[in-house]
Formats: sequence, C-alpha cells, structure tokens
Amino acid sequence: MAELVILIPIIAGIVALLIKKEYGRWLLPITGLIHALIFVFIWTGRVIPLFEGFVMIKPEGLLVLGLTSYLFVMISIYSISYLKEEKMENEKLFVSSMLFFLASMSSVTIANNLIVFWISVEATSLTSAPLIYIHKTKTALEATWKYVLICSVGIALALLGTFLIAIARDKAGLNIDLTFSELEKVAMFLNKDWLRIGFIFVLVGYGTKMGLAPMHTWLPDAHSEAPSPASALLSGALLNTAFLGIFKTSKILHLADIGNFSDVSLIILGLLSTFIAAIFILKQYDYKRMLAYSSIENMGIIAFGIGIGGIAAYGAIFHLIHHSLIKSSLFLSAGNVLMSFKTKLIDKVGNVVKFLPKTAIVLFAGFIGIAGFPPFGLFFSELFIILGAFRKGAYISVTIFIFSLILIFAGFAKYMIKILFGKEEVEPEIGENRWRVYPQYILLITSLVLCYVQFDQISNIMTSAVVIFGGR
Amino acid sequence: MISIILFILTILLAPLFSAIILKVKAFIGGKKGQPILINYYNLIKLFRDKSSVYSNSTTFVFRLGVIISFAVMVTVFMFFPFGGMKSIFYFNGDMIFLVYLMGLGRFFTIIAALDTGSSFEGMGASREAFFSILAELTLFLVFIFIYNTTGYLSFSKMLSITDNTNLWQMYGASLILVVIAVFLISLTENSRIPVDDPTTHLELTMIHEVMVLDHSGPELGFIHLGANMKLMFYSALIARLIIPFDLGNLVINVLVFYVIVALIYILIGIVESIMARFRFTKIPKYILTSFALAFFANIIVLGRLK
Amino acid sequence: MISLSHIMLSIILLSLIFALNSSRLKILITVMFLQGILVSIAPVFLGEEISTTFALFTVITLIVKGILIPLLLMNVLNKVKMKKEIEPIIGYNFSMFIALFIIVISAYLGNEIHFPVGGNLLGITAIATILAGMFLLVSRRKTITQIIGYLMMENGIYLIGITLSTKSRYIVEFGMLLDILVGVMIMVIVLQQINITFHNINSSKLKNLKE
Repeated sequence: MAELVILIPIIAGIVALLIKKEYGRWLLPITGLIHALIFVFIWTGRVIPLFEGFVMIKPEGLLVLGLTSYLFVMISIYSISYLKEEKMENEKLFVSSMLFFLASMSSVTIANNLIVFWISVEATSLTSAPLIYIHKTKTALEATWKYVLICSVGIALALLGTFLIAIARDKAGLNIDLTFSELEKVAMFLNKDWLRIGFIFVLVGYGTKMGLAPMHTWLPDAHSEAPSPASALLSGALLNTAFLGIFKTSKILHLADIGNFSDVSLIILGLLSTFIAAIFILKQYDYKRMLAYSSIENMGIIAFGIGIGGIAAYGAIFHLIHHSLIKSSLFLSAGNVLMSFKTKLIDKVGNVVKFLPKTAIVLFAGFIGIAGFPPFGLFFSELFIILGAFRKGAYISVTIFIFSLILIFAGFAKYMIKILFGKEEVEPEIGENRWRVYPQYILLITSLVLCYVQFDQISNIMTSAVVIFGGR
Repeated sequence: MISIILFILTILLAPLFSAIILKVKAFIGGKKGQPILINYYNLIKLFRDKSSVYSNSTTFVFRLGVIISFAVMVTVFMFFPFGGMKSIFYFNGDMIFLVYLMGLGRFFTIIAALDTGSSFEGMGASREAFFSILAELTLFLVFIFIYNTTGYLSFSKMLSITDNTNLWQMYGASLILVVIAVFLISLTENSRIPVDDPTTHLELTMIHEVMVLDHSGPELGFIHLGANMKLMFYSALIARLIIPFDLGNLVINVLVFYVIVALIYILIGIVESIMARFRFTKIPKYILTSFALAFFANIIVLGRLK
Repeated sequence: MISLSHIMLSIILLSLIFALNSSRLKILITVMFLQGILVSIAPVFLGEEISTTFALFTVITLIVKGILIPLLLMNVLNKVKMKKEIEPIIGYNFSMFIALFIIVISAYLGNEIHFPVGGNLLGITAIATILAGMFLLVSRRKTITQIIGYLMMENGIYLIGITLSTKSRYIVEFGMLLDILVGVMIMVIVLQQINITFHNINSSKLKNLKE
C-alpha cells in the first residue's frame, strides 16, 4: 500500500527517539533507502494506495515524491558524518524530526482529499519547527518563532481557501468528495466566484509556505538558522510540496475555464518574489541566508512559469527538479564551509579553494548551476520560461524577469567569488570528509544527466503534469 | 389630568427613591442607615433658611446655575410619560430637545461652578464636561436605536403604552444591550459609583459634588431636588424600556412602573456597595464600553445581522 | 423570534469587542474559553441531524477547542508570569473602535456574500472573528497575544467550515483539530523558550534577523 511512504518514516522516527544516537544516525539512510524503494514500486505501479478516497497517485505528486526521496537519501548520507563530527546537542530530536518531516512531506505528495492535503502541509510545518531550533541560539529561537507563526497563519488562510472552494462545490449543488480528482472532473460546474476567492486564499496561504513574496519573510531566517542537512531538505523538498497545493488548485481553475485569473495572480506573485529576492541578494552578509533568498527567487520563477503556461509551464517543472537538486547540494556544501570555518559570515570565510578543495568544486559547480549557466538544467528551464513568455506576448513581465535574473547572478557571483577565492579571516579547523562531498557530487551529476538524457518515465510525468496548462 | 397628578407625584417621590439607595448601602454594610425620609428632612431644613449665603466672588451667574438646572429638570419631567400614561406635553423630536435641555442645565451648572473662582470647582467642572461628552455619544446611539425600532422621536410616543407592545419580541437581544448601556450611562450622568463617589468630600476626587460645593440654603435644596429628579428620569427611562407595554389597568401600570423604578434604585445601591470608583483614566473606557454595546445593538437592529 | 444560535453568535461578536479592548491577558484567555465553547457547539444549533458520530465529534471539539487549548495558554501565562500587555502598536480605545468597524464591515460582506448554511449571521460572525484575530496578531507586541490572534482566526475559519457539507467531514475535521492542537503546543513551547532566553515575551525584541 502506498501509504507506507508515510508510515515507515513515522515508525522510524519513533524508533529514533528511543535508541542510542549512534545507531539512530543510521536510521536516516536506511529509512531513506526503504522510502526510495517504495517510491519505485509506486512509480512502476506495483503498489497502490489503500485509502482510495484520501490518497491518489498523480504525476505531479509522484514527481515531487521521487525528488524528495532521492534528496533524502543523499542528505542522510551527508548527515551521518555531519552528525558524527558536529556533535549536536539534541541529536535524537534532530533525527526523529527529519524522519517525521519526511513522512509529512510524503503525505502531502500523495494526498488527494483537500483537507488531508491541508493537514499534511500543516504537519510539515510542525515537524520542521524543531529542526530550526536545534542549535538553541537566540537567533534560532527568533527564526523558529517567525516560522511557526507566519506559516501557521498562512496555512490557516489556505484552510479558509479550501473551505471556500468547498462552498463553490456546494453552491453548484454537487455532492462529491472534496478531493482534487473529483473537483477536476466537475470543474466546469463549480461556482466561479467562490472558486476565485478560494484560489486567492489558497495562493496566499500555500504561497506563504512556498516562499512567495510578500509572505516570504520567514524563509531567510528559517533556512539559514537550521542545520545544513535540514536547510537542504527545507529548500529542496518542502517548498516543492507547498507548490503542489497551488499547482493543483490552479489546475482546477484552468479546467473551470477561469485559468486566466490564476495565471495572472501567479505571474504577479512570481515576479514579485523574483524581484524582491534579487534586491535583497545584492546585500547579504550571511551565505546561508543568500542561498535562502535564492530559493525565494527560484520559487518565484516556478510560479511565474506556471502562470505563463505553455512551454513555460514545462520549463517550470523542469526548474523545480533541477533547483531542488542543485540547491540542496549547495546547502550541503555550505554546511561543510560552516563546519570548517565555524561562522556564517561571508566576510570571515574565504579561500575555500585552498582549504576545502573538494567542497570548492561542488560549490563552484553549484553556483554555476543555480545562476542559470549551461550545462546545468536551470539554464534550459529559464530559457523555456522566457520563450514561453515571449510567445504569449508578456513582454513587460519578461523584462522584469530577465532583469531580476541578471541581478541575482551579479549578487551571487560577488559573494561566491569572495568565499571561494577571497581572503579568509578565520582559519578553518575541521577538514573535509569525502562522505560530506560525495552526496553533493551525486546530486549535481544527476542534474546534469537529467538535462540530456530523457528518461521516458520522467518526461511522461512532466508532460502529463502540465498538459492542462497547454504544455508541450 | 392623570398626567399632572403623575408629574407632581413623581417630583415628590424622587427624594424618597434616592433614599432607597442609601438604605440599601447601609443594609449591605450591616448598618441601619439613615431614615427613609432623610432627604425630605434635609430639604425642609434647607428650605427653612431665609436665604442662601453667597460668596463675594460670585455674580448673578452663580444664582442662574441653580435656577436653570432646576427649571430644566422640571421641564423634562413634563415631557416624560411616567407609568406609561401620557405626559403633559409632547411633540415629535422632543427626545433630542430634552437631551439638549439637560445639556443646557449642565452648561449652566458648569459655568456657575467656574464663577466661584475656586480651583476645585473648576477641576470638577472640566471632568464633568469631559465625561458627559462621551456619555452623550451613547445616549444618542440609544435614541437612534429607539427611532429605528419604534419610528418615533418623542418620549411619550415611544415609551407609552399605546403602540409598542412587541418591542421585546422583535428586538430582545439588542434591547438588553441598550438597557445595560443606558444603565451604565445613568451611573455616569448621576455621579454614581463607579464613575464618581457621591459621598466623598475630598475635593480631589469629586466630580459632580465639587461643583455644588459653594451653594447653601434653599438653592442647595433645589440642587438636591434637581439631582434626585435627574436620577429619577434615567431610572424611569430604563423602567419604560424594560416594560414598554400595557398591563391593562391604570393603577397596575403605574404601580408596576414605580416598583420597577424602585428595583432599579436598589440595583444602583447594590452596585455602589460592591464596587469602588474607577480610576479617572479608566472612565473613558467604561463609557466607551457602553458606547460599544449601544452601537452593537444598533447594528443588530438595522437588519444587518439577521 | 430570537433563536439560540443568534444569541450565541451575538455573544461571540460581543466577545470580540471585549477582546480587542482589554489590556489584561487573563481577559483574552477567558474570551478564548468562551469562543471555543460557543464555536464548538454552534453546529448543534444550526439544524444538523444528530447522529452519534456527530455528538461524539462535537464533544471532542468542545474539549479541545474550549478547554484544552485555553488551559494550555493559562498554564503558560502563569509560568511566564505576565499579566498585562505592554504598549501595543495600536491603543486600546482605538482598538475598540476598530472592533466595531470590523463588525460593520463583516456585516456588509456577510450580507453580500451568501454562505450556504446558517443564514447571514453565521457568515458575519465568521468574517468578524477572522478579521479580529488578524488584527490582534498584527497590532500587539506580546507573543502570547499573537498566539491568541491565531487561535481566533482558526475559530472563525472553523465557523465557515461548519457551513460545508462533506461526507467524511468528521474524520477530516478531527485531523484539523489535532493539527491545531499540536501547533498551539509547539507555539507554547517556543514561547517558554523565548521567555527563558530573552527574559520577556515581547516580540518587538525579536528583531535581530533583519534583511
């Protein structure tokens, strides 16, 4: 049964709280591998959901689930040596929270019932809150509070939106389950006004969780204060799950023939996020925070792409995949830098090329990737999006878009060069460890490979996901 | 005819009712308290004086204050339908007329207080002016409520028994709120606890009392009688709001009316015994609470909240 | 005729005015008790068929929303020893006017937008509660008041949820309740940590992380 992707990490999380921490560490990759295995079974159709009404395997959900699974395996390999060397205070809490977090994210990807979806998203907030607070510093506390409060309020608004969509269904007199699949079938008959209002609240609510401006204020704090494996998971996997909610609701609106409304909203918020992130990235003092702003920018790009539709929607999904892979590798490498230099300030670190050569390679490759250079995937995705926007004639939006991309590249380049080649102020203490570099390599290579080798199954998923939006 | 009898009767009974409050307070305090006719004894004592004593620093305005405020109260009584019977005079819109008439009385009391040149009285006057401004907001909201529910702007029309028998049925919830709001305002306007302590004689803590500090003799008697009548007016308003309908018999109507008024006085007495006076800074909040209640009642009644 | 549901909803609206007006945290928590209880028994008075699952679910919601969560807040308040709100961003008397303004706006919106169940008053109360909760969140500085604002929003959203007709409503609303409960627990834990670390629960001190 497909719900195992949720159950097994929960059980593993409970076990992790009970056993010794040296063994608990290993639960992470073990669970990750089992999770990945179940995912493959689901993908190939050998495992099906048990609670048909609440859970359903859809292509977009499958995509995010697979991505999450893959990321988790890589991050868990990194975590083993990270935990060993970092000597974290409350390791048991960390391990079990990571596992519960995995469970809640998996739940989001396969949820079909609107309310179960909402419960899962709220669960991801709650299970990731302890992760942010692990280091127990003042700033970590502040970040946790902002995270919990802003995300809970946002998700409450998403709940309101969900209820409004249910009212749209009630007003049309339809007596169907409140599931995405059923709603898609009867989308034409849903009450359009209520659907529109509901979408706005859903967009604002899940957009808060996704990091769209102007609801993004919690993201830089939370992602920079959390320990690096958690940050990687947060940026790489959590934001995607929040996006799923907006994506699915937008689909319903398209099927109800008011897709214009959702498109315009997505374009506006997407551009706003990209632009704001671009401005803030130009002046950063903390490299993890800089990466967090980059996540905001990329989420904005994805929202923008889906809003444009057509080939841009395809580009958006492409962007989603590659951003997760590259961003998580960047966060893990940043974790290496933090572990060695013991400071997050860009001013103080430098000359990573000399001290941590292997890390420097992945860091540089990641930088090129995230900045949108070929041969990495983000180049193509951004290209598709720009093409799609030109085809649609949205010239002003595209101009803002390209302008923001340029700004972000400039900001990123400035700080990356300082970190990699600049003068350092603090001497690193802890050296490298190959287990803390291999996962990043693998992630980046995956991203490279996925650009050029078209796995049929993967492209099938992608096209079926965006066919509603007029994708190729 | 009946109206005139009721009018005179109520004026005469006003001091008696005020004594009820004193009795209740004494009773709760475990004392026997002053005799029930104490106010009458007081008034007789004051009226027996040949003339009042006037300070050197006062002018005719000082005397004017008493005359006008008493005259105002008598006029107001002429317009009010006690016991649900017709009042002596009435015209459409007399509600607003009467409230502003009372405002006029208040104005003259204030300038009479200022006229003495004593700083204590000036202090009381300024506080009095401030609180009554706030209280007026609520009072007007109550009148808007009454207008919306009964369509009349005249005391006698809206509170008399001829027309409005189903006020409670239609607007029950909001009527409770309005009654509470008027009660809170009557405590404010009549210088009762929790707004002002009628028994305190520390000038720093007085509001109303301080304004009448310099009066003596018959004038003081008139002022006391006027204050009693004002309290009677507010209590009568509340009583009529509580029972706005006809009970058949004339005698029963009047009797029930006075009983309810007495109950209200008893309630005031209880409130005075239980609570202490609020700090001055909290009084605006208190008045605003009554404002909120009246406002809310209005929203309900405007048909917006069905 | 006055129906019981009207009275309950009017009491909820009144409670909003008093909540926004007061500076004492105990009053706010009392209001949350009241709101929780009224909101959870509201479905009973809106003409739903009474089945055993329905009754069971109402009782559970009552316990969680009306008793457990406010009790948690009370506990935290005692532990943290805070009595009053300090220096809010928007003053109390003005907040009362804002509360009245919110009720007027909700009355307007609630009459224009016709919610399927419960007549206009339900929609008006729900919108007013959500807006009041948001206002509390934004205009107060103490973190515990922010939690209360969040809870008020959730109460309002729950009221809107009552108007739905879903088949498997109970299980699903149960999950929601659980989420909210755990959410509040986590918030409370974080609040206690804030108190320990910063020695007060004044959220305006949480401004180290700026851009």
